[in-house]
Amino acid sequence: MLSDNVMLGFPDFWIFAGYSLTIIAAIFCIVYGIINWHKGVEEKDGDYREEIKWEKEEIELIEKLP
Amino acid sequence: MFYLITFIVIYLAITVYLSYLGYRRTTTVSDYLLAGRQVHPVTMALSYGSTYVSTSAIIGFGGISALYGFSLSWLAFLNIMVGVWIAFAIFGKRTRKMGKALDAHTFPELLGRRYDSRFVQGFSGLVILLFMPVYSAAILIGIARFIEVYINIPFATALLGFLLINACYVIWGGLKGVLYTSAFQGIIIIAVMLVIGISTYSFSGGIINAHKALTELTLLVPPYLEEIGHRGFTSMPETGSSLWWFIITTMVMGVGIGVIGQPQLNVRFMTLKSDRELNRSIPFTAIFILLTSGIAFAVGALTNVVFYNKYAELSIQAVQGNIDKIIPLYIDRFYPQWFVAVFLVGLMAVAMSANSSQFHTLGTSLSRDIFEQALLKGKSVIETTVVTRIGIVFGIFATLIFGLILPESIIAIATAFFFSLCGATFIPSYLFALYWRGGTKTGAKASILCGFFISLLWMLFVHENESKAIGLCKFISGSDSLLGHPWKMIDPQVIALPVSFAVFFAVSFFTSPIKEEIIRKSFRHI
Repeated sequence: MLSDNVMLGFPDFWIFAGYSLTIIAAIFCIVYGIINWHKGVEEKDGDYREEIKWEKEEIELIEKLP
Repeated sequence: MFYLITFIVIYLAITVYLSYLGYRRTTTVSDYLLAGRQVHPVTMALSYGSTYVSTSAIIGFGGISALYGFSLSWLAFLNIMVGVWIAFAIFGKRTRKMGKALDAHTFPELLGRRYDSRFVQGFSGLVILLFMPVYSAAILIGIARFIEVYINIPFATALLGFLLINACYVIWGGLKGVLYTSAFQGIIIIAVMLVIGISTYSFSGGIINAHKALTELTLLVPPYLEEIGHRGFTSMPETGSSLWWFIITTMVMGVGIGVIGQPQLNVRFMTLKSDRELNRSIPFTAIFILLTSGIAFAVGALTNVVFYNKYAELSIQAVQGNIDKIIPLYIDRFYPQWFVAVFLVGLMAVAMSANSSQFHTLGTSLSRDIFEQALLKGKSVIETTVVTRIGIVFGIFATLIFGLILPESIIAIATAFFFSLCGATFIPSYLFALYWRGGTKTGAKASILCGFFISLLWMLFVHENESKAIGLCKFISGSDSLLGHPWKMIDPQVIALPVSFAVFFAVSFFTSPIKEEIIRKSFRHI
């Protein structure tokens, strides 16, 4: 059995686990964010091209208006 | 009072300015509903966090942890792991891409367009419109309880006063206004919670000593709590006891998992420009949740040590049984008056942030999901923004009524109710919408209806928390619940969610698939 101090003063392992996992989960999210900091900027083919196409069409439509 | 007025005036001035900024930059429907899909990751993180956490977590769940102890740290863990990482990385990325591909502006609209079903959109909107006010009321009660304790005015006056302030700026700025102010509100609450967390551990003698001191209070746990399975503030409740089922299924799973089906949070993923912004939001949101709900749960439990050291009584005794007053009373008794005023402003901030997002979601549910889709059969009209505002006003009134009629010690339970209902109703069709091309329109309808009605029936006739309060079960059968232990303690979501999943699968296998064209369009960017 782990000592009280190792378990942060909690006598119950499951409470210690919940408390520690909360902090570990936050650290995991930070690491995930850092690793993927620059990823995901490029969308799948067609995304921005489609947007540009839509915008061009919209401008053309506006220009055609009387 | 001087501090309070000064801080509130400064706070409101900044909030009004940010709302005005949002208002000025809102020119299109997309701006109004989705903030133009160009939100900065830190703004997204702060606003998502402050909408997610709210007074419900700080006052309501803080109070619950003062009563039941550190077992709630499992909820803090799920808040981060499920509410942030799974929500963002597993659901958020595809939600953003699919939302864009389908030009969806609300969460029900995403489901409705993905399954090519006006019913899915209309019914989802109706569920939100009818039940979200219960959750909004829980948040409002949280802030009103604090104002009641601090300024010593009647609860109803506090409730009405705060709702009026909140209403003033929500109706105005659309999601851009909501996001700007939420981010500002998020910063305030982080600072306040950090101070409270550090000072509470310091009052209690440091991290390890505080936990040990709390363990020593096990002997003082009242007999009525021991009977239901309470084994001390630093131990899990007795496995299989009433309290264990309540903590695990309602408090931890109901809220921890139910967050995935929260419409006011899911719509935020569609406000980001690319996955990069989502990736960058994850660490900020996780830190935010850790510093707010994580600290609130720990502080809640430790209030027992602080109250005992000074008054030789537990927190629950100090508030004469009303759990929702524990955190307000603790702050009021143990902190200087200027800080209490700052804390109140911080609470106002998160309450306004969460409430405004909810009212905004209520408004869009009425306008886009119910009015345009269900009533006008998909016909788009230019009056959307006006109907949205009518929906917001309806939401505000419904919230006020629930706020006045709900009983004491209700904040955490009302929150868990809404999270659980949304979880069981929306999670299966939401998950399969993003990941399974084989799910059918009939499968989605059946799953949503099953999840919703099983949850509702379980609440009315089995789950004692609600069935006892509503009284319909007693009226019909003479008993508070139709089933005995442990069923009457098991949260509706635990029963309804697996059924809703199974129904989705089963019905999808036997019904005709969705048109290939819609599937192709939905997954265009994925």
